[in-house]
Amino acid sequence: MSKQVTFSVERREGKGKGPARRVRRSGRVPGNIYGHGVEAIAVDADAREFDALASRISVENTLIDLIVGDEKPRPVLIREVQRHPFRRQVLHIDFFAIRAGEKINVSVPLHLIGTPSGVRNAGGVLQQNLHEIEIECLPSEIPSSFEADVSELEIGDVIHLSDVDTGGFPTEEAPDTTICVVQPPRVVVEEEEEAADELGDVDMEPEVITARGDDSAESGEGN
Amino acid sequence: MLQPKRVKYRKQQKGRLRGNAQRGNTIAFGDYGLQTVEIGWISNRQIESARVALTRHIKRGGKVWIRIFPDKPVTSKPAETRMGKGKGNPEGWVAPVKPGRVMFELEGVPESVARRAMELAAAKLPVKTKFLVRED
Repeated sequence: MSKQVTFSVERREGKGKGPARRVRRSGRVPGNIYGHGVEAIAVDADAREFDALASRISVENTLIDLIVGDEKPRPVLIREVQRHPFRRQVLHIDFFAIRAGEKINVSVPLHLIGTPSGVRNAGGVLQQNLHEIEIECLPSEIPSSFEADVSELEIGDVIHLSDVDTGGFPTEEAPDTTICVVQPPRVVVEEEEEAADELGDVDMEPEVITARGDDSAESGEGN
Repeated sequence: MLQPKRVKYRKQQKGRLRGNAQRGNTIAFGDYGLQTVEIGWISNRQIESARVALTRHIKRGGKVWIRIFPDKPVTSKPAETRMGKGKGNPEGWVAPVKPGRVMFELEGVPESVARRAMELAAAKLPVKTKFLVRED
């Protein structure tokens, strides 16, 4: 079970991009609270406080006691955090209001424990394909993380979802989904690479699939 | 070098890039990423050069993902040619990128190595870039 934390937000009056931008300019982040059978509420939160919270907790699977204004706390999950494409700035937060006794879908982070022996001894590369597992569980039972021991893996060994203890929670992922694989070391042959570079310099023209004939290909392009 | 195998038309209009990358702006495969913070055209030669710089620095370990593909043909006129007489000949391929686009990803190396490798790769690219680390 994840630790529970408290966070405060205020009700937000304006809706739409104008008011939302004004909110962001004032150092706050617009957000919404919604959920099954819950009336949606537009809120805003302090951007710095939210950043501090997000760096402290695992965002997607931590139950938060959300205090809206001076109302009593309500349990929520953070469903989505929209960020600016290349700045760190948070643009919008979705809070998902949960109802006790109602099962929800949550993404739980998956951590790999140890260094595979194929990496330690043979120079392989551990490639993790799945970083989160989505499970269905009750809000009171959300695990903080799943762990998979990879220390015994040799080169070519794979861990599938069925090899990981997910606490018996149902998941929509197939049991044979690959979690991680130890890949053999890349053999870098400098000369080979150089040769490939030289070969690459010879630019071959790709096949033109609309070409009807040598003459008509040129004339058809302008249209 | 990267280039399409088949295309519908040999030449394309230049086009304009506006706004930020709305897709492909987060780390999807590896643990570290190189993200552009500028608009630009990355040629297949630049991509190849950056890839070579990356793989040489990380030596045996690690895995590299290239998340851009140069599918836009660029044309140029021969030297000392008068203007007019139609569009020039296809001379290369570029991948148009918008700010936020993650161009390269890396996995299986320590952060210090990844940071330096990305720095070397970034030096081969015509855009300002940012180093990203996967957040857990």
